[in-house]
This record gives sequence, structure tokens and C-alpha cells, in this order.
Amino acid sequence: MFRFRLYWTFTKKAFLRSAVYRFDVWSRLGSNLIFLLMWGSIWTALYAGREEAGGVSFESMLTYIVVSQFLSGVNGAGTPLWEIQEKVRTGDISLELMRPFDVPLRYLFADFGSVAFYILTALLPLYTVMFIFMDLTLPSAWETWILFIVSAFIGFLIRYCIEMAFGLLSFFLVETGGIVDVFYFAMSLLSGSVIPLWFFPGWLEKMALYLPFQGIYYIPNAIFIGKISGTEILLSLGVQLFWAAASYLLLRFVWNHASQKIVVQGG
Amino acid sequence: MSVLKYFDLYFKLISAGVRAQLQYRFAFVMRIVGLITSYTGTAVTMWIMLYQFQELGSWTFYEMLFLFAVAVLSWGFCIILFFHFRGLDTYILNGTFDRFLVRPINPFFHFMAMKFDVASFGQFIFSIGIFIWVSFELQLDWTIGKSFFLLLSVVGGILIQGGLLVIISALAFWTTKSEQFYWVAMFPARNLTNYPLVIYPKAVQWFTAFVIPFGFVNYFPAAVLLEKETPFFPENIGYYSPLVGIVFFAIAYYIWMLGLKRYKSTGS
Amino acid sequence: MPIIEVEHLMKDFMIAKRETGFLGAVKSLVKREHIKKEAVKDISFSIKEGEMVGYIGPNGAGKSTTIKMLTGILVPSSGSVKVNGIIPYENRQENAKNIGVVFGQRTQLWWDLPTIESFELLKEIYQVSDKRFKENMDTFTEILGLDEFLNTPVRQLSLGQRMRADIAASLLHDPQILFLDEPTIGLDVVAKEKMRTFIKEINNERKITVILTTHDMEDIEKLCERMILIDHGQKVYDGEIAVVKERFGKTRTLIVDLEESPHNLQLKGGEAFKEEASRFWIRFNRDEVSASELIAQITQTHNIKDLTVEEPAIESIISRIYQEGYQDLPEIVKV
Repeated sequence: MFRFRLYWTFTKKAFLRSAVYRFDVWSRLGSNLIFLLMWGSIWTALYAGREEAGGVSFESMLTYIVVSQFLSGVNGAGTPLWEIQEKVRTGDISLELMRPFDVPLRYLFADFGSVAFYILTALLPLYTVMFIFMDLTLPSAWETWILFIVSAFIGFLIRYCIEMAFGLLSFFLVETGGIVDVFYFAMSLLSGSVIPLWFFPGWLEKMALYLPFQGIYYIPNAIFIGKISGTEILLSLGVQLFWAAASYLLLRFVWNHASQKIVVQGG
Repeated sequence: MSVLKYFDLYFKLISAGVRAQLQYRFAFVMRIVGLITSYTGTAVTMWIMLYQFQELGSWTFYEMLFLFAVAVLSWGFCIILFFHFRGLDTYILNGTFDRFLVRPINPFFHFMAMKFDVASFGQFIFSIGIFIWVSFELQLDWTIGKSFFLLLSVVGGILIQGGLLVIISALAFWTTKSEQFYWVAMFPARNLTNYPLVIYPKAVQWFTAFVIPFGFVNYFPAAVLLEKETPFFPENIGYYSPLVGIVFFAIAYYIWMLGLKRYKSTGS
Repeated sequence: MPIIEVEHLMKDFMIAKRETGFLGAVKSLVKREHIKKEAVKDISFSIKEGEMVGYIGPNGAGKSTTIKMLTGILVPSSGSVKVNGIIPYENRQENAKNIGVVFGQRTQLWWDLPTIESFELLKEIYQVSDKRFKENMDTFTEILGLDEFLNTPVRQLSLGQRMRADIAASLLHDPQILFLDEPTIGLDVVAKEKMRTFIKEINNERKITVILTTHDMEDIEKLCERMILIDHGQKVYDGEIAVVKERFGKTRTLIVDLEESPHNLQLKGGEAFKEEASRFWIRFNRDEVSASELIAQITQTHNIKDLTVEEPAIESIISRIYQEGYQDLPEIVKV
């Protein structure tokens, strides 16, 4: 039986806890802004005064980057990979195995809390201002907004499952350097977070479309700027749902092995 | 203690550090693989970017690779010498920093000599590989003067980035935080300088030239070597890179010592 | 000629006040209130060469703050410190050559390297001559049995082995003064005993002045003749341990478990100073009344389930001093 109330307390606690670590909030926002500046400048320079490229107007492209940076703020506000690894190494996660709840779910719900706090106090005010003062395109139909939010949420779940699964690899490996860097590379490039997939060389675009990472940034972004519409959106949401389920199974698989290892070898 | 004695001690301390690191051989190899992967990732990102657009602020893909390789090379040395400075806050919080203060040698020196991360070997492989490839593609003519200038500006780059790491660690003396400052300020700033500064707003360019002089790490020297223009800045400003490095590092060292003095009066 | 002289030593810290609640957190972003905390207020003492002094007090009493000022890690707010004629905070590196420091909970050895390599590095740091290094290593190896783990990386040592290595490391450069911060913490009985014997030996043979902070009163009892007791940043006792023991040695504590729990226990010659459910702690002076007399008194009205008589170990004396405060004990306050 899923005890929603129990997990909901983790969400509430994490929300309040975030208020204590205000420095974290400001600092994350600061680096988010620097990266926004970087990618904004890069795309401005790449377009170099052109009105459109690859069938996408400059305004839409800039919107894509801003939304992408917003989503990366959202995705970055949860428990980061290195913290999961740290918790594995210090044995915090092993200890939680003794508690009467499901550990991956517990972290997911805690992340909901800290992410909500970050969105409400930092991201939303900042990006609202940005949308008012910059020349960006906003979806005109309210349905698009809903679809964007749904898609972004599924993207968040995909990212969470994959990141957690990678973090839990620390149970099996002393040093995960190379593997973690592959993860970060996939997260930034193959997800389309900084370069939309339509600018990829054909073969790479095809490859990226067969991977789960596009569900994290590319699909919600494309919905937002109207690059995909109608049934295409529904199809994309279906793809996202598929990857959410697949990455959840991956997380379960890694977690089962990890917890078995704790039980047998004591972590 | 004499300077010579300090040199001798430095080599003994770092060789101990290297031996300690090599005890974890698997971790060592994984780290090298990781570093190469992540730099290759950035290079691939640049390639895709320019696959459609050919130019970024008048810089071609190979020129950008060169720019990136200069940064990676000096950052590689920086990791070896100074990267552990960012973790000073942990040392202060769990009390292990006091260890450096009960010994009869300069604490800055002692702290610096504590680690010597040879895993950035991976960075040298990467950047030297890129240099060879780019030199071939752009038909760069490596005269002795140019090679010497590259060497000097790498030294400048080490001092600038190392200096910033030192300043960041010194913040721990006042705020008990440093690692976080690295990830908030220096990590994004380093990413920023992987691309030619000319694409950024003037204020940012000015800031990276004269406040935190990251422009002297790779942009200005690379512009000199590739004979590219640096709008808004005097021509050949890149020649000042070593000098800027020395001055910036001296300031950083001074700030660190100031922080240490504060630490000794507050104990936290 | 005292080797350590401390006069009217003071150290204040400013600590940020923690605000509570959401608004408090936001408020503290902009403005933080600070409170002045006097960690050490007006402490004076002097220690003669070759003395072994226990520096004790409850957590937060100012022990480690004092030690940090003696080692030159901290600069005092006011007052003066002289260690071997040197002002530590002005001439930290000079001072460091004369002192050895062991922090019981934190090793100063190189975690990932074989133990011997830490010694070799410290030899370089302190510029110990080859000859002296060899002599010292031989001595310590013999007394502390270092050879059984010299080639083992420090991270694999047991706590007892690590402490032995740490203390040997702190003595390599022949310091005149040794600061030991909780040198027996976490050790088992046998290892503790070994450690104490060694400390005693180096104090006797090398005439090294030892300052020992500890929570283990047995350390003090077995090692030191003199103790300095501090609390709330002030010295409350400084003198011979024998005096304290003599003064309180006559006091014993009888602990009885009764079958029922009476409201109070009135006894002639004894005073129940603590109770917990049906357990009573009764203090008595053995010159005035014997334990059996007290027990006889109790059995007249109650049934005793179990009992013990507590020895007047320095431990219980100190804990009694902590519990009851010093103002009631003017006789022992010899500041």
C-alpha cells in the first residue's frame, strides 16, 4: 500500500529545510544565471543577426534556451548526484534501509519539497521578470501551458530515476568518475538542453531520439516554443512516459541490487 | 627555513601525496577517463554547434578548439597544484586545519603541498592531442618565440586560476564556506571562458579582463597566437598574461594570509 | 623558572545568533545579530618544567581554546601567554619547534601511507637530524611496539595503534612540551593502560612537560599530581590532586534500590542527594557513620533489593563539583 501521507511529510520537511539553507538557494540561482548568460550569448552569436535558422526564429531559439535554463534550475534543485554518492559512502542510505519506507521514493518526495521551494522563491520570480523584459515568445494557448508543465514533470521524473540510479552505482564502485562524466555529458548534450536536437547532424539526432535524455529538456522545450504541436505532442508525451517507466525500472533494478548488497555485506 | 629546504620538502610531501593517490589505482584510472570524457564532451558540443553555423563570433571550430585546449592545459596544472584548496572549509569544520598550524612551516605552503593530483594527466593527453590536431588543420607555424609565449601564458593561466582557487579557499576563513563558492562562481566562470569572450556583453568582457582576469588564461593569448582580433581591447593584450598571473596570485596569497590572521583570532 | 606562563588570559568570540522560523531565516540573510561569548575569561597559571598537569573541565569550559592559545593557533583577546619564553601567537613557527601536539580524535598522520612514511615526512618538516631520528625511532619502537604496524597504512590501524603512532609522531622532534588532547579517548582498557605507562615514562625520563586534557579522570588520577579545573572560562581549582582526594576521600556514596519508592529517606549521618524511581544515592562521611550502620537504618523501614558503595574516585568528586557548583565548596577553591 502506498502511504502518501508518510511521503508527503518528507516533502513538507524538505520544503521547510530549504528555508534554512538560503545560501544554497542564492548560490544555485547565481550559477544558473551565469549559464543562462553563457548560452544566451552563444546563441546570439551563432545566429549573428539572422532572423531565423533551421526553420526556427531567433526569438524562439532564445526562448528555448531560457526555458531550458529554467528547467535545469528545477532539475538541479533536487538531491544532486554527488550528494547521493556521499550518502552511499557515509552509510546514510544503508541506515535508511532499516526504516519503514521505500528509500528511492522517500528521496523523490523530499526532492519535490526542495524543488518547490526553489521554484517559488527563486526561479519563478526571476524568470517571470525575464519573460516580461526580454523579447521571448510565450505560448498563446492555455493547453500548451498545461502540456508543457506535464511534459516538464515527466522529464523531472526521468531525470530523477536516471540520476539516482547513477548515484547508487557508488555501492558497487569506489570511484565513478568516468561513468558520472558520461552521465553529465548525456544530460547536457543528448538531452538537447543547450543545443536543440534539430541542429544536430542527422545521425546524432536519430541517436538522441532513441535515448531517454531528450525527454528531460528537448520535449518540454519544443512544446513550449511550438516546435511540435497537435498529435506530435501526444506522441512525444507517450515517448516520455515510456522512458519514465523504463528509467524507473532501471532505478528499481539498481536499487534492489544495492539493497541486497547492504543486507548481505553490510554496505 | 631556507627556500631550498622548502623546495626539498615540497617534493617530499607531494611524492607522498602521489604515492597515497596511487594506492587507489582503479579510482586513479577512472578519474583520468572521467576528465578526458568530460573535455571531449565539451569539444563535441562545440563541434555540433558549429556543424550548422560554421562560426561563433568569427571563431571557427578549430580556433575554438585551440582556445579550449589552452584553458584545459593550464587548468590541468591548476588541478595538480591548487584544486584541493576549494575544500578548505571541510578542513576548518572538522578541525583538521589546526594540524597545519602546529608545525614549524608556512601553513600556506604546507596546505598546498598536501595534495598533488596527478590524475590531471588526462588533461595533458587531451590538450596536447588537440594542439597537434589543430596545428595541423590551421597550419600553425610554431616558431620558438610562439612556443615560448604559449608556455609563458600557460604559466600565467595557472597563476590566475590558481589564484582564484586560493581566494575562494580564503573565503572559508570568513564564511566557513569555500567548496560551494567554487561550484557557484568559479565552475560557471571557467565554462564561460571556454568560448571566445567576444560573444559576451561588454560588461562581462571587461569583468573577465580586469576584475577576475580569466580572459588572460586563454582568450587573449590564443588571440595573439591565432592572430585574431580582440574587439574592445588593445591588440596583443595577451602578452601581459604572465604578468597579470603574477600580480593576481600575489593578491590571492595576501588575501589568504589575511584570512588566516582572521582565523587565528576567531578560531572558526 | 616556569616553562609555561599564562596571565589574565582572555578570549572572546562573536557568535551569530540563530534566528528561528521562515521569517527569521530571511531576516538573517540581511542582518545577523551577534552575541559575545567569553570562552576564556581571566585565566592565570604557570607550569614548571617537567610537570604533568591535568587540564580539565566540562565540555565548552574553554579547555581547547586555552590549548589553542598555548600552541599559537589562536590569538588571545587580552592577557599574556609565554611558552618556553616565546609568545606563541607572535612566533608560531618557533613555538611549534618546542611543542608536540596530539589531538586524540584527529590523527596528524598521512592517512593513506604506511605509518613509517608519516614519520619520515615529519622528520623533514621538523628538520630532525638522521641520528636523532634513528635514536628516537628505536626508543619508540621498543616502548610502543611500533614495529608491528610500521608498514601498514594508517587508515588500517586500530585506534590503539593509531594513537601510539600519533604520540610517537608528536615526540620525534624532541619537544619540551607535549599537549595531549584526549589521548585515551575510545581506547580499550589495555590500550589505555599502555598509553598511560608511556606518557609517564617520557615525562620521567625525558623531563617533558605534559599538559593533558581529558574526560577520563582515571588518566588524571594515574598520571598527574596537579590539576587545573576550569568551568565557564574560569579557573575553579588549581592544585594537587591529593588535596582534593584527601578532602573528599572520606565521602562515600551508598546507592540502594528499594522495593517500594518512599517519598523521602531520612537517615542519621547520611544524606540522600539524588533519587530516581526507587533508587537512592546517599552521601555519607565514613568518619561519622559506617555503611553497615546506614544499611541497618534503612532496613528498619524498607526492603533493600540491591546496593553498592561507590568509591571516592576523583571522577565522582569532579562530577560532584560539576553538579553542585563551586560556591558550596570554598575550601577547595584555591585560585
